Amino acid sequence: MSEIKATPSDKKDRTAEEKDWAAAKAHFENLKSKKPRPPKPKYAVTIAVSSRTLFDMTAERKIFEEEGMEKYVQHQQENEDEPLKPGAAFPFVKALMVVNERLRELYPDGEELFDIVLMTNNHAQVGVRLMNSINHYDLTIERFCMTGGQSPIGYLKAYMTNLYLSRDSKKVGEAIEEGIAAAIMFKPDVETPLSETQLRVAFDGDAVLFSDESEIIVKQHGLDTFFEHEKKYENKPLAQGPLKCFLEALGNLQKKFYAKNERLQCPIRTFLVTARSAASSGARVLKTLRSWGLEIDEALFLAGAPKGPLLQKIRPHIFFDDQMFHIEGAKEMGTIAAHVPYGIGQKYNKGKLIEVEKQK
Amino acid sequence: MSLDPVQVMKGQDPMPSTCPATSNGDIKASREDNKDTHENVGSTTKPKPGPVRRARKVEGGIFFPKPENAVTIAVSSRVLFRTEKEQKVFEQKGIEEYLRYQVEHENEPFAPGPAFPFVKALEAVNGRLRELYPESEELFDIVLVTYNHAHVGIRLINTINYHNLFIERFCMTGGTSPIGYLKAWHTNLYLSADAEKVQEALAEGIAAATMFMPEKQIKVSETQLRVAFDGDAVLFSDESERIFKAHGLDKFFEHERENENTLLDHGPLKGFLEVLGQLQKKFYAKGHRLDCPIRTYLVTARSAASSGIRALKTLRAWGLEMDEALFLAGAPKGPMLEKIRPHIYFDDQMFHVEGAVEMGAIAAHVPYGIAQKYPHKKSSNTDK
Repeated sequence: MSEIKATPSDKKDRTAEEKDWAAAKAHFENLKSKKPRPPKPKYAVTIAVSSRTLFDMTAERKIFEEEGMEKYVQHQQENEDEPLKPGAAFPFVKALMVVNERLRELYPDGEELFDIVLMTNNHAQVGVRLMNSINHYDLTIERFCMTGGQSPIGYLKAYMTNLYLSRDSKKVGEAIEEGIAAAIMFKPDVETPLSETQLRVAFDGDAVLFSDESEIIVKQHGLDTFFEHEKKYENKPLAQGPLKCFLEALGNLQKKFYAKNERLQCPIRTFLVTARSAASSGARVLKTLRSWGLEIDEALFLAGAPKGPLLQKIRPHIFFDDQMFHIEGAKEMGTIAAHVPYGIGQKYNKGKLIEVEKQK
Repeated sequence: MSLDPVQVMKGQDPMPSTCPATSNGDIKASREDNKDTHENVGSTTKPKPGPVRRARKVEGGIFFPKPENAVTIAVSSRVLFRTEKEQKVFEQKGIEEYLRYQVEHENEPFAPGPAFPFVKALEAVNGRLRELYPESEELFDIVLVTYNHAHVGIRLINTINYHNLFIERFCMTGGTSPIGYLKAWHTNLYLSADAEKVQEALAEGIAAATMFMPEKQIKVSETQLRVAFDGDAVLFSDESERIFKAHGLDKFFEHERENENTLLDHGPLKGFLEVLGQLQKKFYAKGHRLDCPIRTYLVTARSAASSGIRALKTLRAWGLEMDEALFLAGAPKGPMLEKIRPHIYFDDQMFHVEGAVEMGAIAAHVPYGIAQKYPHKKSSNTDK
């Protein structure tokens, strides 16, 4: 800042200039009150979504695959003003924003909010269309990472991402290996109306919240041994799975609502939907959650019953599972499902070992 | 976690039929076949030295039937076990105290509740069905549907294991209504202690009833499931009831005689009787009619000659068989039920349910039909 000794003529300019600045500042403050500033990454619960999960870009994707990069970019630029249609993660993001609003009501200066980052492989030129679409739907996504073809993993870490949603299985696999909770999103075949006031997140148990140790025992030694094993180690907590930390982050936000006596109208609700059976193997699961200090709102032990009908009743904004079989079942019945490619379940399809393809 | 629903288990058969002297619900016989040590991390109270349940092994049967093939019975935690003390804590001191209390007493199993003998009997039937039809999924499937939070789940699981029940499917809804989940489970019968939930379920078309704890317990059979039904407004619709209430007994008799051959409309528990009948037929097919482990009773205040024919013709038209039919023509049902000793008795009028409970029979109230609007007048004018 330069220190100019004020001279009378300068002063006149200065006041005009100052007025300008004051006006600009007031304008900015005004802006600030309408759209609040995004929280700092280390306090916030950061959710990174890719453009293909947030918006439905199947048509554009086709152009990219069939006609090449240049055509694709051109197409995007031509249709810049046309907003994209909502994708699989869209209701989830909307629900996150509702929770943010409630949090801001209760804690006006709090930084513990949801922060949504758009993490996309797209080039910067496509950014305009994305921004237009985001504004069209009035979403609060201020942070963008347009990597133009590079891997987003480094950026995910820099943002301290708590959850990464994408349609690309390779990227999701990389993220999970790096210790970031990630899942591949699928759009349901039928549309179901979802809650607009409450974020509902459903988790599978093994290989999602917990490690896949139990799954390995079932696949290799059978149900008998599994039950015995679970009974024996009932009081030994299971190792954690890829989405445990995300549940933890949700739990922290839930506690903020409970602290202000809003337990009954808490806008976050978590569900455990597991194929485990309650009496034989459920105790270990509940004790593990308790030892981690995590509460889950609703627990459904299915003992092998299909998850589809129950998910249809729950209507989560997102359902995490490690087995494609369950994801497909959920999709058919209209549930937004996300596949977590972790653990031994990836080698099996409907209980049978998939033949391992020779890697090129 | 994927459990293939069709998992055939091989192993020893610990079913109640092999264990002779178990009294109703209280398993004092020890099952020391498998000495699992029960470690308790961080709990100060030693667990009661009840039988340690090992992993359930069923000889050559379907472990987890698919909901659409099985007869699904949804019970709430309050009817399966006696939770009056905990209810009081919840009502007087609030939810946080309640959760804390439950966690503290986690290793103390609950005492059996009104639906407990019913559930035990269902398991006995399942055992027989598995013997005769090892590959079939047409079994009873019991789901625990409760408003409770997941914290309480451990105590429920411990109790279920202590009493050696086989309830593997849970729905712990943590405060929201479980009615939506009932349909997803293809529930054939829902038992609860809460009249509101039962009414919601009935409105959704699911057979449901409110259960009451009898003051004294009469001993019920452990090998044969006995289910008793009232006629009007339980198996049949309440149309006849309406005529009786509106126009009196005479009109009612006339109406029944005129419409003898018109079928009555079905009531909320007709579907459940139907599935019981289907399972009974499976036993008859294998020549077990005489020792069929399911027995159904019709206990109605109708009088046989004047109005009974229509009821029987309706049942016949539906293809349903009733093992025993008692036409009481207004006599009190209590003493009859005491002799029948059903595991559960469904009636739409609280008066009868209370009478049954006084005599020690396990009764369930079906809040359906016009009788709900008429609290019973203790007059002698109950001839039907």
